[in-house]
Formats: sequence, C-alpha cells, structure tokens
Amino acid sequence: MDSSGIISEIKKSLPYFSAKTVAEVRPDEIYLHITPEMFKDACLALHKMLSSPVMALYAIDERKAKHIYVVNCIFLDASKGQWIIVSIDVPEKEPCFESLSKDIHSASLFEREVWEMFGVEPKGHPDLRRLRLHDEVWPEGNYPLRKDFGKVEVGKLSEYKFNKVEGEGVFEVPVGPVHAGIIAPGHFRFSVAGEPIINLEARLGFIHRGIEKLFEGKSCLAALRIAERVCGNSGFAHSLAFARAVEKIVGITSSKQTEYPRAIFLELERMYNHISDIGTMAMDVSFSFPAAGASIIKEAILQLNDELTGSRYLRKVNDIGRVLTNLDDNKKDLLRGNISKIMADFKEVVKILNSSVSFMDRVDGTGLLRKKTAEDLGVVGLGARASGIAVDLRKSFPGVYQEVNLRIVKDEKGDALARLKVRVSEFEESARLILELLDKVDSSERDDFEFKGKAGEAIGYAEGWRGAVLYMVKTDSTGLIERCKIVDPSFHNWPALTYAVLDNIIPDFPLCNKSFNLSYPGNDL
Amino acid sequence: MTKLIIAQLILFIVISPAISGLITKVKNNIRMRKGQSILQPYYNLMKLFLKGEVVSETASWIFRVTPFVVLSSTLAAALLIPVFILPASAKYLGDLLAMVFIFSLGRFFMALSGLDTGSSFGGMGSSREMFISSLVEPVVCMAALSISLQFGSTSTSAFSGMHTVSVGAIIAAASLYLVALAETSRIPIDNQETHLELTMIHEAMALEYSGKSLALIELASYIKQMIWFFLIAAIIFPINAPAHGGLAQTILWLSWYVGRIIIIAVTVALIEVLVAKMRLFRVADYLGFAFVLAIISTIFAILGV
Repeated sequence: MDSSGIISEIKKSLPYFSAKTVAEVRPDEIYLHITPEMFKDACLALHKMLSSPVMALYAIDERKAKHIYVVNCIFLDASKGQWIIVSIDVPEKEPCFESLSKDIHSASLFEREVWEMFGVEPKGHPDLRRLRLHDEVWPEGNYPLRKDFGKVEVGKLSEYKFNKVEGEGVFEVPVGPVHAGIIAPGHFRFSVAGEPIINLEARLGFIHRGIEKLFEGKSCLAALRIAERVCGNSGFAHSLAFARAVEKIVGITSSKQTEYPRAIFLELERMYNHISDIGTMAMDVSFSFPAAGASIIKEAILQLNDELTGSRYLRKVNDIGRVLTNLDDNKKDLLRGNISKIMADFKEVVKILNSSVSFMDRVDGTGLLRKKTAEDLGVVGLGARASGIAVDLRKSFPGVYQEVNLRIVKDEKGDALARLKVRVSEFEESARLILELLDKVDSSERDDFEFKGKAGEAIGYAEGWRGAVLYMVKTDSTGLIERCKIVDPSFHNWPALTYAVLDNIIPDFPLCNKSFNLSYPGNDL
Repeated sequence: MTKLIIAQLILFIVISPAISGLITKVKNNIRMRKGQSILQPYYNLMKLFLKGEVVSETASWIFRVTPFVVLSSTLAAALLIPVFILPASAKYLGDLLAMVFIFSLGRFFMALSGLDTGSSFGGMGSSREMFISSLVEPVVCMAALSISLQFGSTSTSAFSGMHTVSVGAIIAAASLYLVALAETSRIPIDNQETHLELTMIHEAMALEYSGKSLALIELASYIKQMIWFFLIAAIIFPINAPAHGGLAQTILWLSWYVGRIIIIAVTVALIEVLVAKMRLFRVADYLGFAFVLAIISTIFAILGV
C-alpha cells in the first residue's frame, strides 16, 4: 500500500486525520509527520487497522537545530512488508506528549524509556517508574540520552517501589539480581500464596551499559562491531539489522550473493540457540540425558561456526553491504556434511524428549501465554508464534527467503511445550533452508566497494532467533551516527513471562523462564 | 563387642561417600561424560572441613546446632540397621519405626535452620521438606507393619540374616525404595545437582551452610543414603556370613555383600538420568503409590504369600 492508501484507510476511522508531511523514502518505510494533538488517535487507528503492536517508540533530541524532540512510533504492516512511522515534534519548552499506554499496552515500556532517557513525559501514563536508571544510584533529573548530557548531576535518590500484593498467607519471595549459574543479572519479585505464583514483577536494567549513547558519534563501520556485541547470542541478527539500516541510508542494495550467506548465518545462529534452549529446558526439569545430547549438538554447531568464519558466535562475519566470510566449495561441503550429522543427532534427542512421559508431564500446560495476552503485550518472534500469532519478518520482508519457500512454524497452545515444539520445527526448517540456500551460493561473485557515510534515517531489521531485532539509525551529514535506537525482541517479551507464570508454582518458574529464554543485555542495553 | 560396633560404625561412615561418588560417576558415564572420580565426595568433604564458615548475622543457636543434630541422629539410626553385626543393645532399643522417627529429629532441625536465617530459599525448602515427610512417614510405618508380620518383629535384626524372600517382602522393599529416593533427595523428587534454588528441596535448606557445618550435613546425607540402601538390601538380598568357610568362600560372600549395595546404587543412577523430575505436587501421587504398595505387601503378609 502506498502512503495515500494508508492515509485514506486511517481517514475511515479518523475523519479529521491529516498529515503535515508524508514521506515515502523507501518502499518499505512510510513516514507520517503529524501534529502532537492527533498523535494518540492516529496511533490507535493504525494499531487497529494493521493489528500491529507498537514495534518501537523512541525519541530523538533535535533541540540544537530545531528546539524540538522528535518522537517516533513505529507500526508494522506484516502482510505488506511495510513499516509505518508516525512522527511528532515535541517542543523543547514543554516536553510532553499524550501517552498511548492506556489504549495500546505495548507502548507502555517504550514510553517509560522515553521518559527516563529524555525527560519527555508521556502525559497520562499510569506508571512512570524508571526501567534502567535505577533510583538507588541514578539521581532524579538526569536524562542521559539528551545531547547535552555530560556527567551525572547530584540529585535526589529514592527507592524503587515494587507492586505489592497483600492478603492472608501471601508472601514475597525476592530472587536475584545475582543468580546461580552463569547468567546475567535480573531481579524477580514473586508474590506467592504457598507455592502458586499470584504475581511476578521483573526488575531489569542491571547491566545497562548505555549502548545507544555509545553509538552516537561513531562511524557506521565502527558501530557495526558494537552492534554485534549488544546481545551475545544474537550477535549476527543484531549486526544484520544494523547493517541493513546503514545500507538503506547510504543507498547500497546488497546483491543476492551477499544475502544468501547472510541468511545461512542467521539460520545457523537460530539453530545453535534453539538446540541450546531445548537442552536447557530438559535440564531445568532435571532430565539430564537428552540435555547432554543437546549440548553436544550445540557445541558441534559452534565449532562449525568457528571453522566456517573463525568465530564461534559469528562475530566479524557481517559487514556493511557485504559478508566477510567467503563460502567456498570446501566450506560448502563442510557445512553440508555437518548439517546432516547434526540432524541425525537432533532426531535422537527429540525422540527421547517426545517419548518421555515424565518430561511431557512437566512441559505440557506449563507457563501458558494466551493469544490475547500475547497480542496485547506486543509479543514478537518465537514467543508469539507459540501462542498462535504467525508473525515473522522473514515472511513479511522475504528477500532471498522467497526462493526457498520459508514455512512459518506456529502453535496455538502457548505453553512451554508449544514453545519447545516451535523450536524443534524451526530447527528442522533452518537446516532445510541452509541446505537449499547453500546450493545458490556462488563464491566467485562477491560484493566489494568502498563505504562512504551519508546523512539519512532508516530502519534496519532482522528476524533473530528470539524475534524481530530492530535498529533505527539516524546519521548526520558527515556520516556519523546521530541516534541509534535498538529494540531487541526481549524488550517486547519480558512482560509476557510475568503473565505466563501466573498460577504456576514457584518450582516451575525456571522452566517457564527458560522456555522464553529472554536476553538481559538485549533488554538492558 | 562394643569395639566391634564402633569399628563397624566407622567403616560405615568411611564407605558412605563412595556410594554417592559411584552414583555420580555412573550418571556421568551414561550422559557421555568422563565424570569426576568416585573419590570426589571425599575431596569435597576434606575441602569443606578445612574451610572457614560464614554464618548469617540473623542466625540463632539453632543454625549452629543443626549440623550436629543431623549428623548424630543419622549415626544413631545407623546403629539400628543390620550392617555386619547388629548391636545387641540396639535390638531392644529401637526398630524400623524408631529409625524413621530418629530421622525426623534431624529433619525437624534442618527445617528450622532453613527458616532461621530468613533467606528467601530456606523457608521454601523447609515447607517442601515437611510436605514430603508428612507423606513419607505413613508409607514407612505401613511397610514396617508388613515386614513385622512376615518376620515376627519390627526389629531390623529379624530380617538381617538369611531368610526366604517372599512376594510380600519384595513389594514392601519396592515401596521402601520409592521412599528412599524421596529421602535421599534424588530425581524424580529432588535433584542434588541443580543450581536452580527455586526448584530445590533439601539443598534449599542447606544453602546457607558453608565450611565445616556443610561438611557435617553432607556427610549425614551420605550416611542416610547408605542406611536406606542397606535396609532395602537386607530385605530383598538376604545374606548370612559363612559360618566357617574358606578364603574363597569369604571373598565370594564379601563381593556379594558389597555387590548388592552397588546394584541398588546403579539403579538409582539410572533413574536419575532417564526420568525427569516431577512437578512438586505430583510427589503426593508418587508417595501415594508407595503407600498403596505397602498396603498390598501387608495384605500378602497376612495371607502369608
């Protein structure tokens, strides 16, 4: 649909709608610049029309040039493969806009983020507690993503207020931030009546590293290496999303001989993470035999990655407009041979899991995330597909996936077993995709050019193994990054976990948690 | 005689960690891993005994006393079961039922100490342990009834020697085996290997312990496990010392004596690897099943099968 089509669609439910400017910079991005008064209604109309959650809502500090903050709200038209960006100007003197949260729940966390990072207030937001700048260490009145932020100003410190559940026999169980095992920090506050969980509040942000600020002023090539380290086990998806944003800005269209290897590496990343999660789900219910099998497979894929690219976690593989790893005939044979070996082992592990009554009893019905809840929360990726929402950026923006007929895997039930099944099927699908894409790779044709920065703004995206990874990149006239907003799928999906565990018992929490396996660094940024 | 009894108790203590080491080794080999040495539990104990302790400021005397109560009650229980010789005094002092309630003393203190430090996990462990023990005790009492009907006494000396294995005894032993898995915090009830505090039962209560106190608690669990294994072995693999056999016969007897304990340990290891842990509230079904087995064995005992 082109921009005029969209505007007429919006006008059906919102007769007085008019856009100040409409820009259709690229076929997959439509910018609607509107007045702040119309913001809420327009977003609500788009939300209903596209049945898309808020995929991102972020601010850009443009006070220096125009004395405004720009607030952008992004929706996805999944069927047509388009991003609709609703953009408003918020005046510097009165930094506030009307909150969407009460009508569109998926905007809530983004608005809190805009408030804590820029001091731009979403008026009417019911809960403006800070997410990453913890009240105990960050004084009030510090807004680090503002351009003029230098160092932390002294101010009032306070204490974070958890939601309280009161009543007879209700206890609070605090867990974390430091956990047993080698995982990142996060605090979970359970309210329990005996063993059943009646409320869970996750407090994250302990490893907030100021990544978005770190991007600012960097050249795109340098920033690419930061992007692939934002979240360790989604390194390739992040680098791909960032690279695509930059490619759109500078106007490079990468050739198919770049896109095939990219898709292959993206699927390899999906494979090693999916098998790792299948194993850890078994581990968390103390079913250690298949877990051992799964960890052997994971290690085999990591070693395969290493042999192909020199990096177990696929770092320094991607580049702007090209791929640095050349998949020559030797490597293609290596990949083919290993994939078939891996698939044989994989079938064994899945067979053991499927035929174990004790294991099925644990995962079946545990951690139920209903479709309606998932839709309201704006859950993306694997978590959404296991609850019956068939969204996948690989389908919406197919690219080379068109040539291999990607099959979206989904399950209606939304429990831990559904997420396990989706992982199993996606693993098999990924292996198939890799083998088919491999036939199309021709290592003699490679993209090569000299990169030159340019001013512009674009959205980069990739369907990582957890879900949609988004990069909104804006560069200045010298080609340096002015603002980079990162949205990891974990940011959408963490709230889903707190709903999925309700009515489950405390000892089942680790299983529920592992069935989502969300990222702390991707969320904390 | 007294010296022999003390020597036997010391031998019992010394061997018990090896059984845990063996189970871990078998588990790891099945999982395609090399695994730690069978002697690793000894190294762990030595390490812990040489270490200092960290005790929570809010902990009371209960926390400090508990490791000693747990270990000594376990040792007292060890005196009540047939190992090589049964102490004459113990014959009249206690029986199978006494053993269960001596264990309860240790468990009671363990649960109190879990609550004592006020950590988030200790209390959870205590409540779960109490939930499970309330189901374990009736099963053992019922199994004891069945055994006493068959051997004429609840005293363990009654079935310590050679006897014919009846169907009733086998079923009673099976129900005690299920109880033993629960009592020694094995899968499918509990998992000794896990790092996930939220899923722990026994380990959650012991989380706050370190150094020497932890070593005492660990040693007590090794001994408790041995007690259960010996008890079950005595019922289903009856054995009597050769009155005056030659060297070859003694060796044969000794290897069967150890072998039957190893058989039980290996089956535990197999279950640990091949079964997932149950959801906590399923434990009631599991122990309910054990209780039904105990009742069936009692019926068989009454019928004299």
